[in-house]
Amino acid sequence: MRRISRREFLSGAIAVGAAGTLAACAPTQAPTQPASQAKPLGVDTIKIGAMGALSGAHADYGRQINMGLELAKEEINAGGGILGSMIETRMLDEELKADVGVRNARQLVQDWGAHFLVGVDSSGVAMAIGPILPELDRVFIFTHAATHRLTEELVYDKKIKHIFRISVPVYQDAIVAAYVFRDKLPQARRFATIGADYEYGRAVWALFKEYMKRFRPEAEFVGEAWAPFLTTDFSSHIAAVMATNPDVIVATPWAGEGVTLLRQAVQLGVFDKIQAWWQAMGGSVDVLEGVKGEVQANAFKGKLWATARYIFNYPDTPENKAFVEKFRQRWARLPNYSAETTYSAVYAIKAAVEKARSLETSKVIAALEGLTLKTPAGDRYIRPEDHQAVYSVPAGRVIMDPNKYPIPFIGADLVILKPEDYYRKPPFEPIKF
Amino acid sequence: MTVENFVFQGLIGLSLAMYLWLVSAGLTLAFGVLGVLNFAHGSLYMVGAYLAYTLYGRLGFDFAVSVVLAVLTVGILGAVVERLLFRPMYRLDTAFQLILTFGLVLIFSDLAKLIWGGLFVIPPVPGIFQGTVPVLGRSFPVYNIFVITAGIIVALVMGLVLERTWWGKTVRAAAADREMAAALGLNISKVFVLVFAAAAMLAGLGGAFSIPVRVVDPGTGTALIVQAFIITVIGGLGNLRGAFVGSLLVGVLSAYGTLLFPVFELFIIYLLMAIVLLVKPEGLFGR
Repeated sequence: MRRISRREFLSGAIAVGAAGTLAACAPTQAPTQPASQAKPLGVDTIKIGAMGALSGAHADYGRQINMGLELAKEEINAGGGILGSMIETRMLDEELKADVGVRNARQLVQDWGAHFLVGVDSSGVAMAIGPILPELDRVFIFTHAATHRLTEELVYDKKIKHIFRISVPVYQDAIVAAYVFRDKLPQARRFATIGADYEYGRAVWALFKEYMKRFRPEAEFVGEAWAPFLTTDFSSHIAAVMATNPDVIVATPWAGEGVTLLRQAVQLGVFDKIQAWWQAMGGSVDVLEGVKGEVQANAFKGKLWATARYIFNYPDTPENKAFVEKFRQRWARLPNYSAETTYSAVYAIKAAVEKARSLETSKVIAALEGLTLKTPAGDRYIRPEDHQAVYSVPAGRVIMDPNKYPIPFIGADLVILKPEDYYRKPPFEPIKF
Repeated sequence: MTVENFVFQGLIGLSLAMYLWLVSAGLTLAFGVLGVLNFAHGSLYMVGAYLAYTLYGRLGFDFAVSVVLAVLTVGILGAVVERLLFRPMYRLDTAFQLILTFGLVLIFSDLAKLIWGGLFVIPPVPGIFQGTVPVLGRSFPVYNIFVITAGIIVALVMGLVLERTWWGKTVRAAAADREMAAALGLNISKVFVLVFAAAAMLAGLGGAFSIPVRVVDPGTGTALIVQAFIITVIGGLGNLRGAFVGSLLVGVLSAYGTLLFPVFELFIIYLLMAIVLLVKPEGLFGR
């Protein structure tokens, strides 16, 4: 009888041990991931690159983009990923600058290998990134940037099919405003703007004038003042616009700048004189947190109207309640709209990839077109013509009710329009501004 | 456009000017005496704002007490920065100073993010600033009256100290010729540390005063420092009188620009700077 050498014995023991380990693993792995078709997409990870404002007074939007992104990733990965491939994310600061945004997009795709891109807060940044997407051959789902030109001009007119937008554009900031003042303030004649001095603010004012004039031919647009990013003193803008005796002020500075603007407007006694103040992005969580003291002290005298691309208190559905609850548990804050839109964008990617069973850009584009999706903000439908997600969000007056939420919310005189009433439809008539 | 509205806009511009003056005074003082072009002046402003916010908004101190404590703390911070970081730099090329102060901007910004978080903060309006005064049939904020007064007081005190006191003479001597002043027995390093502390306190004062009407975030001060630089360039680098006049020009002109030419008001300030640089490149009061 041959003696078993020590080496043979050891290798045998290792083999048996390894087999035992494999056997122990098998029952848990086999049912979900049969070896032959574990990764139908052929990749271990699906990389989603993101960008948003991560510095300065607008930094909370980027952070909320990241929170929504991470929450969706954690949920999807815990449930087995997308067709077995896990999601990996990377987030960069767009700094609200077009050139930085373009550089980020290139870096995320070419250096890091992103399969999809999401995010972008500034309309100026979005308009710069859009045209380079065919070259990068990636789908970009924009989750905040709001200029109508992104989908109307770049997608519908110029046929850049790589652009999608999950958030409602300036149709909400501007056209919903016109409906609100048509229905709620029949006496208002004189309208003025304190605008964010770039693409977004200009687009809102142009669209608002167009629709308000249509609804109320006798409307007058009496004053305008424009404040660029990094403005910290709005008193000269407010004083200049108040010199024109407006009934309604349409304000588009957002984030911390919106809070500074509202604080200074209260200081200048604006709310004693006007009928209403429309804070286009006033339904955003950071702004609501920032004006909490004023709302509690009734400093706006009930005249602060606002909207947002999603707000945590609407709609009253199980999906939304679950989302808000999970978000608060994960991040100890209420979700902003840029969190919800980015969260939903990741789920849109999941749905499209599962439908296409491929990561190929053209196939994912085809799968996204016409997609319907249940999301916290309600049912979304992605219009194939302009790649714009269609859904509805409310506008109304900002109130405080500590029994319901720790911060103010859009809770009074809610105006909920059907998307078909206020979404512009192709073919688009250009708006001059 | 009524006369009342025109005058009212001028008053708003005046309060904007006095606020800009508080910030540019310290910047130009540090340059005039120490020869340091301090990019981190805006960061000292930010620290003053955050400290006043913490004391007043979080810890419940009286607003005036919070401002005083914040200003003193920023002054001490300034003295420490001068002693530890600037002192070895005086002998080196200006480029090294620029790199150092720019580095400080980044460090302060990240420290602020670590301590106070990335989200902007704003405290409730202090009781004394709630309310308005009727001016020309419109409402003028109490706060703005306060800022105008503070700006004028700072200008008067600085003028008196520099022109009428022994200390002022010492500072001016050190600014004019530091080697000669040292040879005559003046303690230059003491002058430098005190002047820089004073400059830092002015930045801190601007920041602490700002919190009733402006949000504070880790980027606060960046935009302001650009305006302060424009003002010092217009007025003449290192010249306090120039900084005062420059602040008045920039504050009042930008307020009128917003009223009269809303579409290109930004352009007016840069046009002003371009004209000054063409006609008098050393600035209005520069030598």
